[in-house]
Amino acid sequence: MTFGMLLLAAVIGFSFAGSMIPQQRPAMEYVSRYGATVGGLIIRLGLDDVFATPVFLLLMAALALNLTLCSVVRVRRLRGSGERLKERARDAQVIAAPGQAQRLDAFLRRRGFCAQAGEGVTVYSKCLFGAYGSFLTHLGLLAVLLAGALALYGGQITDQTVMPGQTLTLPDGTAIEVLSFRIEDETGRLDYASELRMTDAQGQRSAEALVRVNEPMRFGRYKVYQQTYGTAGTMRLRNAATGGEDTVYLTEPAFLTADGQNGVFFAALYPGYIQDEDGSVTLITSTSGAYADPVYDLRVMAQGQTTPVLAFPGEELTLGDITYIPGEPVSYPGLRIKAIASGMLGVLYASFVLLIAALTICFFMRPVCVAVRPEGYAIASPKPQLGLQLELEALIREEEQQ
Amino acid sequence: MRDMVFFAALLLYFAAMIVQIVSAALGRQKGCRAACALLSAGLALHTVYSVWRGIAAGRLPLANQFEFASGFAWAIAVLGLILHARLRQTWVLTASIPAAFLVMSYAAFQPMEIRDIMPALRSTWFALHIGSAIFSYAALAIAGGLGAYYLVRLSRGEREDSAAMRQADYMGYRMICLGFLLLTVVILSGAIWAEQAWSKWWSWDPKETWALITWIIYAIYLHQRLRMNWQGRRMALLSLAALVCVLFTFAGVNLLLPGLHSYA
Repeated sequence: MTFGMLLLAAVIGFSFAGSMIPQQRPAMEYVSRYGATVGGLIIRLGLDDVFATPVFLLLMAALALNLTLCSVVRVRRLRGSGERLKERARDAQVIAAPGQAQRLDAFLRRRGFCAQAGEGVTVYSKCLFGAYGSFLTHLGLLAVLLAGALALYGGQITDQTVMPGQTLTLPDGTAIEVLSFRIEDETGRLDYASELRMTDAQGQRSAEALVRVNEPMRFGRYKVYQQTYGTAGTMRLRNAATGGEDTVYLTEPAFLTADGQNGVFFAALYPGYIQDEDGSVTLITSTSGAYADPVYDLRVMAQGQTTPVLAFPGEELTLGDITYIPGEPVSYPGLRIKAIASGMLGVLYASFVLLIAALTICFFMRPVCVAVRPEGYAIASPKPQLGLQLELEALIREEEQQ
Repeated sequence: MRDMVFFAALLLYFAAMIVQIVSAALGRQKGCRAACALLSAGLALHTVYSVWRGIAAGRLPLANQFEFASGFAWAIAVLGLILHARLRQTWVLTASIPAAFLVMSYAAFQPMEIRDIMPALRSTWFALHIGSAIFSYAALAIAGGLGAYYLVRLSRGEREDSAAMRQADYMGYRMICLGFLLLTVVILSGAIWAEQAWSKWWSWDPKETWALITWIIYAIYLHQRLRMNWQGRRMALLSLAALVCVLFTFAGVNLLLPGLHSYA
């Protein structure tokens, strides 16, 4: 086994560990799942985030170096490889097929071989450029590794939730306005689509775009993805003393108060409920889509007393000057914003194309030379050519039988 | 009615497998021809079923474990018949028919109802990614089948340098070349799709990781074959070991290792 193969075997080992042990979880999870000894060992060895350990990164660097050296060695061997292959065919011991030269000539020409006549021997060659296949494959792999690492670690990713109608401003002044968000399309099919508009720091505005899973929006150096979604409760607050009114979005437990002591604590929002014959209510805790009959789980805190309340949209709760009015829930998108140099992905995809083309050349355009002499023929190729050999043998047998 | 067509195809694959194994053991050419006819009939019904299901679902029928397994078995049957037509060797059928039947049987145990495709799968990359996966796995499964055939013949005293053994060994290698190339297309098209859907072209998700492990094992196979000229028994064993990885990537990961591909 070569050093490169050992490196690949090591990558298999790391990958196996990384797939079997859950990655990037809190330390306590490993302790509770595997026990104190094994869990502690997993954390100490970095197996909880195996693909970010220095050893793994070093391994990948060694693999890249190995591929580079292999490519250099191969490219030096490639010069004149076609002529050398023809020489090998000329010098090879022939398989006896006396008087078959014409038949072999017709067969090989039909198969796309080019003939080069010499003294007492004709050399047929095909796909000589295929000798570059292995070199290009190594080069393609190296390109995928390098461009892949750049694309993976060169970008900057942030996740943000934005309410419909609100605008998110990024540090460089680029603004993302969420015009609307929907979970289902017109036919009731799950869709998860956000309508966005972006404006850069210079005020240049994008067209409105519908961002879905698989359909990110590109604007400048940003790419915006529909990453996740959530449903928030809404609460309208009316102040009788000032006449002011405000609406707040409730995505997590929150205490809504004017004086810090009296107010309404929002505990949770439920998508629906089932009312039994005796009047008791069972709350529905999960939903795949819309909140059909939303229920707000609230605690009213007044004069040091806490009273649990289930409230429905439109109901009013008044505490002093403040009136709390739960509203219809609002679905909102979780957006992923990726900042990446636009050419980086292009380079990565070009490396993919190179690798696939190289493998196609390597496996399906194998260089081969056949030297045909009056007394027989010889095949020379750096790759296995049993298929051609069997075909030629069958051809000779067929002639002999006739 | 549609499911009846599926089970009829399964039955034909089963009959083809029994006829082929018995004929191969007894050395009967006629029996092998009958097995080939049964496999072709099964494949025809299987194709009808897949088209029918695709029309009913309004999409490519490759969106869940049942559909993928069915497509995988279909691709094994297609490749097996193409290979048999080219080589006219009965051992091609001995290797491919049992593989098609076993994968089809696995499909029969999966939930068969047609469900709406989830948003993450609505992509232009779906056809290329999954289509190349079924043909890649099929080529690798046939290579594994040829490896098993090679080892069985070897254990029964056949010489490694006999024409049939050399050809079986060589065809196993050629199938791995095809499967490996397509597996590369699967991984790279998946990477482009992942970048569009999840923002990262590689996330070390269990399915991705196991696809990479499988890819590396076949890369080692090809490297040792082309560079070190390994052949015969060693290669047959390695192709079988690698097939275990393919099957784990296909079914085991879905059952045991939850991740981004859990719906597959």
